[in-house]
Amino acid sequence: MGTTASQLGKELLSEYQELTFLTKQEILLAHKRFSELLTKDEKDLPNTKVSMERILTLPELKSNPFRKRICHVFSTSEQKDGSLTFENFLDLLSAFSDSATLEIKSHYAFRIFDFDDDGTLDRGDLEKLVNCLTGETDDTRLTPEEMRQLIDNILEESDIDRDGTVNLSEFQHVISRSPDFVSSFKIVL
Amino acid sequence: METMTECAQPIGFHFLFLRLSIKVNVELCTETRPSVTTANRNAVLAFQSSKKSRHFTYFADFSENVSLFSRRCGYVGKSARRTLQLWQGTMKEIGGKFGSSVLTYFLFLKWLLIFNIFSFLVNFGFITIPQLVYEPSPNIPLNVHFRGLEIITGAGYFNNTVMYYGGYSNETLVGLVDYNMQLAYFFTITVYMVLCGIALIFSMAKSFKKNYVLADSATSSAWQLLCSWDFSVTNERAVRKRKSNLRIQLKESLSEKAQQELLTLPEQLKHFGVHVGSWLLSTSLAVGCGASIYFLCEYEQKHTADTGSWSLLQEAETLLVPFVVSLINLVVPFFYSFFNEFEHYTNQRNQIYALVIRNVFLKMVILGVLCYYWMNVVAEVFSCWESMVGQALYRLVIVDFLFLMLGCFFGEFLRSVIGTRLISRLGVPEFDVGRNVLEIIYAQTLGWIGIYFSPLLPAIQILKFFILFYLKKVSLIQNCQPPRRSGRAAQMKTIFIFLLWFPFFVGALSMVAYTAWRLPPSEQCGPFRGLNTTFGVIEVWMDDLVDIPGSHWVIWIYQKVIRSEVFYFLITMIILVVIYIFWQVTQGRKRLIGLLRQQIVNEGKDKSFLLEKLQNLQKSRKPTSKPNKQKGHSKERPGEPPTGSHSNAMVQALLARQQLQDEMDQSVPSDTSNSGALMQAMLARQRALSQNGDVYHRPEERVSSFQTAQTTRNQENQESDGHYRMVSPTNAVTLAMQARQRAEGTREDDTDYLPSSVSSVMRQVMQARQRAEEELNSPSQNTAPSGSSALIQAMWARQQAQNEYDDGY
Repeated sequence: MGTTASQLGKELLSEYQELTFLTKQEILLAHKRFSELLTKDEKDLPNTKVSMERILTLPELKSNPFRKRICHVFSTSEQKDGSLTFENFLDLLSAFSDSATLEIKSHYAFRIFDFDDDGTLDRGDLEKLVNCLTGETDDTRLTPEEMRQLIDNILEESDIDRDGTVNLSEFQHVISRSPDFVSSFKIVL
Repeated sequence: METMTECAQPIGFHFLFLRLSIKVNVELCTETRPSVTTANRNAVLAFQSSKKSRHFTYFADFSENVSLFSRRCGYVGKSARRTLQLWQGTMKEIGGKFGSSVLTYFLFLKWLLIFNIFSFLVNFGFITIPQLVYEPSPNIPLNVHFRGLEIITGAGYFNNTVMYYGGYSNETLVGLVDYNMQLAYFFTITVYMVLCGIALIFSMAKSFKKNYVLADSATSSAWQLLCSWDFSVTNERAVRKRKSNLRIQLKESLSEKAQQELLTLPEQLKHFGVHVGSWLLSTSLAVGCGASIYFLCEYEQKHTADTGSWSLLQEAETLLVPFVVSLINLVVPFFYSFFNEFEHYTNQRNQIYALVIRNVFLKMVILGVLCYYWMNVVAEVFSCWESMVGQALYRLVIVDFLFLMLGCFFGEFLRSVIGTRLISRLGVPEFDVGRNVLEIIYAQTLGWIGIYFSPLLPAIQILKFFILFYLKKVSLIQNCQPPRRSGRAAQMKTIFIFLLWFPFFVGALSMVAYTAWRLPPSEQCGPFRGLNTTFGVIEVWMDDLVDIPGSHWVIWIYQKVIRSEVFYFLITMIILVVIYIFWQVTQGRKRLIGLLRQQIVNEGKDKSFLLEKLQNLQKSRKPTSKPNKQKGHSKERPGEPPTGSHSNAMVQALLARQQLQDEMDQSVPSDTSNSGALMQAMLARQRALSQNGDVYHRPEERVSSFQTAQTTRNQENQESDGHYRMVSPTNAVTLAMQARQRAEGTREDDTDYLPSSVSSVMRQVMQARQRAEEELNSPSQNTAPSGSSALIQAMWARQQAQNEYDDGY
């Protein structure tokens, strides 16, 4: 009953259905797509990890500016190399699915944006976030002065308790006021 | 089952646990699943396996099965819905290349298509099929033949078919069962309109709740831009484009913020003048269009003979009005966009809204004029006027469709060719979501108005929307680039649904209702010939029902509910009262939100203020205190468990608040003394801390040294009392400080046993509050307000401490 066997067991399938926001078809599709990333011998092993590089060959993730962060957040690998098992992969799809709630989506968004994994979005995180969104190269980046001003604006807007960082609840507060988020925080296979 | 419990336990499941717990809470809380509280997959599985072996009572087993079955059904339904979803791959492709704001248009189109499919099925099933069964071949005059032009004009041959109102019989069709055509026609249209209205209201309310109520009014804020990143965009080029768009938008938002204050009065006046000018211009343009359409219609009516057979030229002439109407719909919006270029809006949203409102006004004027013409002129002149109106609507729908295709070709294809080949400065056109959505809203309104006059019009609509979907998709992918400004897609969608409902659906409904209620139906054709009004069919039906036993309740409902003013009066009153209550509740909540917000801000201020104060104090104390004690103290700090530091911060915040309150209450001279008291209290705290450090080293002397610490503090207290008897509130500060010291002392003593220490902190705080309150209340009447506010604060502090405590454990 290996999780990455060529065919998902019926029990396991219904279990995944209970534990994620995905429908049966979506889980099967996810399984198919995930199996395509595996080599032949790996297919027979249960719980095979797929390295981040191979996961990122998926067209859905390939050009996403947060692709590495997404892998790191959803990976439970002890080496912190961003490799995903099939169940991690299902987690990812579930969080990005249509029916996931705002709480879950904002929770994961926060973790994705929290580049240094310290539980708050500080100035460094925000700077990296903005750079991710505007492009990393020197000619696309904002000037330091603009960046400073932008981050000041962001903090002024969202840092309610004025401690210089944006914590999860402040972030969720911001998210709850931008209705586009739910529809845009979405990856469909 | 058991093998699975054993072998499938990878680390990866801890996210699944999280999901399970959340999902269970969110979705399944109504079900009586025993696993609701378990957040652990192991536990769930263990429970499931044990459940199988255990003997259950019949009822529990049954309810378990039912809930399981209903859940499975839910899954199946969800899966089926997923499979049935039309154009899923196309949607994904569009979303991947152009983002969710363009996708809104296509989703809207699909939604309307489903509306029309439903409407077609209802009309076809309940009106057309019985008619066709009863009378398979249409009753067409001999001199009318199919000439081909009918497909565009809808006149001639079609005039006598089931396409229009006139083609239906007014008799009771006798077959296996009696089928009253009049009633069927009336009820089908009524039920369809009511269902449409309900569906619209519900989707609108849902959309409002989700997208609008919570949304902030803050304009183009940075977060909104950052959060609007579309994770569904997969195309490499689109991603690059999006990034550069986002960068431009971020820069714009920065410069806008800087620019906002720089507007001078003359500039503002100039902007205001431009606004007024363009509003006047666009309104007069719309009114002018309406007037010209009315005169054109009158001109046409004079030249149209009221006979069934027209010459080819006469038939072609009827296309003049729809042509002009569609031309206006195509050209005038471009003028509006042109005006918009000259106006200066502080934010982009207002610009879009202004454009949308002008376009809506134009379309409303056009449709209003047409409806007025149909109901006041056509209804008087023509013998089978409903069919004439149906024809006019058919022509409008078809010509509008042709113009939409032309718009695709000229507006997007040629524009993109010019942009890429000839004038590269213009670039590739953007897909204008607003204009396109308004076009399909207009098309749908025509369909709604036409439902009474031409029951099969939805079939044409289905075809139209279906082709339009592919046409727009191809045009979009070939010719357009994603809109430069992203964001607000969800809100725009809400606004579009609202627009569809308010002026357009309500307008169409009132038009149809007026026709049914007031206008006499034509005497020679249609299901309602011979009646005074369409609604008269109900009266006839009621008269028939009197003879049938067991139908008294229908008559009762008709007479006491439908026809009684009292009923409508009561309903209106109740709805008004409910609205008023809800409005009050909303107002109250708004105020509450404001207050809570203020509290959070205050607390943040308190925290930072006190931390600063503490830091200063520690800095100043550093050189004088002994190094080893200082070390012991700083060692303990980082080791503090989170709950401790939480409550610590909280106590500090409370103190700071107290102090601020006091400072505000006191006059200026006493201010200095107050801060002196604070300093002393701080010093005392420092001393107490070092003493506690000693206590830590010698546990056997703990109690006694604690007592000494307390006595010294009491002395200090009396001292300060003596010094500052005039300003009693300072005592409150000192006392609170002492409470804090004691609390800290206790906590440091009992580091192993946290819960009790936290609760003792709470108790101390309560006591300090109590005392502070007494102190504040006693001296004079003047301080009463501050005393009561201290009480409120104490209550609040207690509440918060409780929350902290709950969170921690």
